[in-house]
Amino acid sequence: MKVLVAVKRVVDYNVKVRAKADGSDVDLNNVKMAINPFCEIAVEEAVRLKEAGTATEVVAVSIGDKACQEQIRTALALGADRGIQVETEGAVEPLVVAKLLKGVIEKEQPQLVILGKQSIDGDNNQTGQMLGALTNMAQGTFASEVAIDGDKVNVTREVDGGLQTVSLNLPAIVTTDLRLNEPRYASLPNIMKAKKKPLDVHTPADLGVEPKAHLTTLKVEPPAERQAGIMVESVEQLVDKLKNEAKVIS
Amino acid sequence: MDFELPEEYRMLEELVANFVADHLLPLEPEVLAREAVGVGAYITAEEREALDATSRELGLWGLDAPESMGGMDLPAIALVAVNEHVGKSMVPYVLPPDSPNLRMLDATVNDEQRSRYLEPYVRGETVSAIAISEPGAGSDPAAMKTSAVLRGDEWVLNGRKIWISKADIADHFITMAVTDKAQGARGGISAFLVDSDTPGLSVARKIPMLGGNATYELELSDCRLPASALLGEEGKGFAPMQLRLSTRRLEMATWCIGIAQRALDMLVEYAPQRETFGSALSDKQTVQNWIAEAETDIHAARLMAWHTAWKLDRGDSVRREISMLKAHATEMAWRIVDRSMQGFGAMGMTKELPLQQMANEVRLMRIYDGPTEIHKWVVARDILRG
Repeated sequence: MKVLVAVKRVVDYNVKVRAKADGSDVDLNNVKMAINPFCEIAVEEAVRLKEAGTATEVVAVSIGDKACQEQIRTALALGADRGIQVETEGAVEPLVVAKLLKGVIEKEQPQLVILGKQSIDGDNNQTGQMLGALTNMAQGTFASEVAIDGDKVNVTREVDGGLQTVSLNLPAIVTTDLRLNEPRYASLPNIMKAKKKPLDVHTPADLGVEPKAHLTTLKVEPPAERQAGIMVESVEQLVDKLKNEAKVIS
Repeated sequence: MDFELPEEYRMLEELVANFVADHLLPLEPEVLAREAVGVGAYITAEEREALDATSRELGLWGLDAPESMGGMDLPAIALVAVNEHVGKSMVPYVLPPDSPNLRMLDATVNDEQRSRYLEPYVRGETVSAIAISEPGAGSDPAAMKTSAVLRGDEWVLNGRKIWISKADIADHFITMAVTDKAQGARGGISAFLVDSDTPGLSVARKIPMLGGNATYELELSDCRLPASALLGEEGKGFAPMQLRLSTRRLEMATWCIGIAQRALDMLVEYAPQRETFGSALSDKQTVQNWIAEAETDIHAARLMAWHTAWKLDRGDSVRREISMLKAHATEMAWRIVDRSMQGFGAMGMTKELPLQQMANEVRLMRIYDGPTEIHKWVVARDILRG
């Protein structure tokens, strides 16, 4: 079984991001970039399937400029077998990503596609679902457990109010939630091996897609600063403030 | 000119940063607590074994050891990135095997010594110490008095060695001794491999040092060694010893960069939170100057370290660079840690925060492997000679 994993280059989760002074975007100058944590979980899940003998090949794909090859190499160091970069310029919105991934799926014919449920930069949480709609493949989103069962995959989903398990026919799309697994570190020997693994570059035209923007960012601004807290004198005062000032209880 | 590390070394740096954050820093409060109650800043045998196991699993063992011995044979430039992160933690653990003796042994051993000393050392089975300084002969090796005399087919060593690290656990000592007094440092000093159980070799005393550290004094009294104990060529011990010292100096400088960076990061996090006289500490010009100067100093030291490592990897002489770097990095770290402690006020004086231990470690490094003043002298002499 071939598994395709999508990885995205995003601002490292430890970085405190700042908006640019002109409000046009987040300031990425001198900022550490990393693989999106949800994508890292996706890679880990695919590699575990390979180690368990369920998957035969893991292909990591990323969409972006040349810099995103770094995240593909990270995926290769974590255990993916080969990489694909779809070369694009500037920001690419979820629908375009989904269309490009559809193109890659048509070329690669994977049985399972694993994506992060969202990326921590845009927090859109749309690509996996759009890809499901475009490809007519079954989708199991927000996965906290993935079990291959013959020509099906059972996906336990984290939904409001609990867990839901769905059984999907393969080929299928899975998007990962935080609790699916804990990704490993790429060990040094694997980092060195990753250098020699193949990495192919495609253009959107190769995949028959014209990246078109449907979204325009109007303004990026920091969230309102939190007010300083206060110490209350008593439980009564706390309840009173929660009721009458914060109006969070009645 | 390319100021970017190759991708695989950036990934290695990330791996080491994760190792430090997840495996070393969690042990640090306990190490600080041990030092605070006066039993030494140590890690237990179990803690060391667990760290060794993790280092092996992640492939962080033998980073600069020869590939033929299972090492990674990485260049100095990669180790600069690694050691900056390792230096940040106050847990006394370096990625094994410790590089300086490895470098010296690798440059000097014959086939028999390779299998008997170097290979077990690379595998992590033995502890290697070095004995250079003597009472009255530290930075000036020409004043060395420990003698080695060939009698028949045996070398007989006599003398005292001091400030020896790890003497309590070492399996062998690379011991420097005078084999030809007339020739002095160039041509008269040789290196020997002395097993710690050799009759005539004894640990005279343990010397407690700053920050819960300790060194030892050794006595060599008619210590008889087989002819095969000579390491490298007779009379040519000085150059490989310098190679060993250069390795440690570069390593120390990068540890100091890590320490300084951590001290600055702590100050930068704390200063905006701490209010005095109606405004945050970070609003005071003095504190802002500290931050700007620290960033500048660290940046300069890091660039110097990259450049020195780059030259080293090319096979160029780095004598002057190593001295400039060692002096600059230790002194700037001393200043930055001190200012961070000043910024933290009384809290910076506590043994609960790592700052005071960082100060202790940097204070030691301003002396170890050549005091700042000696290194400046080396640089000046080198320039004045033209």
